[in-house]
Amino acid sequence: MSACLTVWGLLPVLLLGAVATAEITAGAFVLAALIGMTLAVAQRLHWYPLRIAIAIYVDVFRAVPVLTQLFIIYFGLTEIGIRLDPLPSAIVGFGINGGAYLTEVFRAGLESIHQGQMEAAQMLGMTRLTALRIVILPQAVRVVLPPLGNFAIGLLKDTALASAVAAPELMFRARTLVDKTFLATQIFTTAAAIYLAMSLPLGYLTRQAEARFSRGRR
Amino acid sequence: MTPDIFGESMPELLAAALGTLRMTALAFLVAAGLGLPLAILRLAGGAAGRLAFLYVEIVRGMPALALLFLIYFGLAPLGIVLNSFTAAVAAFGLNGAAYLAEVYRAGIQAVDPGQREAAQMLGLRRSQVMREVTLPQAVPVVLPAMGNYLVSLLKDTSIASLIAAPELMLRSRDLAGTYYLPMEFYLLAGAMYLIMAWPMMHMVRRLERHFARGRLRGGGT
Repeated sequence: MSACLTVWGLLPVLLLGAVATAEITAGAFVLAALIGMTLAVAQRLHWYPLRIAIAIYVDVFRAVPVLTQLFIIYFGLTEIGIRLDPLPSAIVGFGINGGAYLTEVFRAGLESIHQGQMEAAQMLGMTRLTALRIVILPQAVRVVLPPLGNFAIGLLKDTALASAVAAPELMFRARTLVDKTFLATQIFTTAAAIYLAMSLPLGYLTRQAEARFSRGRR
Repeated sequence: MTPDIFGESMPELLAAALGTLRMTALAFLVAAGLGLPLAILRLAGGAAGRLAFLYVEIVRGMPALALLFLIYFGLAPLGIVLNSFTAAVAAFGLNGAAYLAEVYRAGIQAVDPGQREAAQMLGLRRSQVMREVTLPQAVPVVLPAMGNYLVSLLKDTSIASLIAAPELMLRSRDLAGTYYLPMEFYLLAGAMYLIMAWPMMHMVRRLERHFARGRLRGGGT
């Protein structure tokens, strides 16, 4: 009983951590989406060296654990005199890592649109870029939405790794509290429940968006 | 990094990479084995189906790290003390079972219900229908997804370094600290993960292409 009361008292600290978790997730998501969108469009411009560079970025950052990437950014960069705070390094680390995934997602979205659409738009006198913007992208959104939602949920959970570089997010707060109170079972269960409380609504929203955009389609 | 430091640490890193592969393989077996009954229970419905659904949703909703800490630190006060390697295999296995349950479910549901009905008409028992008709046809959907899961599992085992389980990331952190060469050792670790994961990624890509052959590419609109 007293243990329950203690955890109740610790809840504000955990919730403070949850806010930082949301911040890292949102920041990294925006960064990843910007990178992904830019590179997916850049890939379509058919400039060979650029395509190779993008393909290498996508493969390398998807094949290396995000924890390793975080450590390179947070600990490794200090060696060459670049010292980032935990929170920004987490946002940058997850953002760059996620950018590789989202490049693939956006590429698949663009590829799902029939080639004839691009040809027709160009026949009408649009440049490739205009055709992408006005004709292809709006349709690609439908294809891209579900994986984008899944990515956001995965990202939310992955940000727990930022605790390893001492970013003051939910898992880090939980670990510090466990060190102080030794209530490992209760505190980690509560932390897991808070993650669940954040990821379930995200999953629900994703399914809603998915249902909405696929209405009337096979 | 001088050549002697590299020469001295490389055997340690290679041994640690072996630990990573061992952890990945064991967790994959646990996940693949537990995932199938979970998927079948969930599809069967009823009370057991609801429990399976609950398990999948809860485990997929929490970070693998939270599950790892719960198993390694959270079970200790209850008298269950696991060593870090076992805890990691258990955590990744239980976590993966929830993912693979969804993969299996998607695969089973992708098989036309007419197949099942026809098999039942022919007098096959329910278990026979599942084993001999439905599951083999789910393979094209399930296999690439399992491959993708295996790749992400391989990378996720790096998280086990946070409970000091013997694997590549832990050894890199030790060495990075000992020589104070974080950039070199983390880049080296990254390269070693790349060498392990990249061939797997490409095999999965080929599998995907293989099974996608014959299907239409591109939407009609």
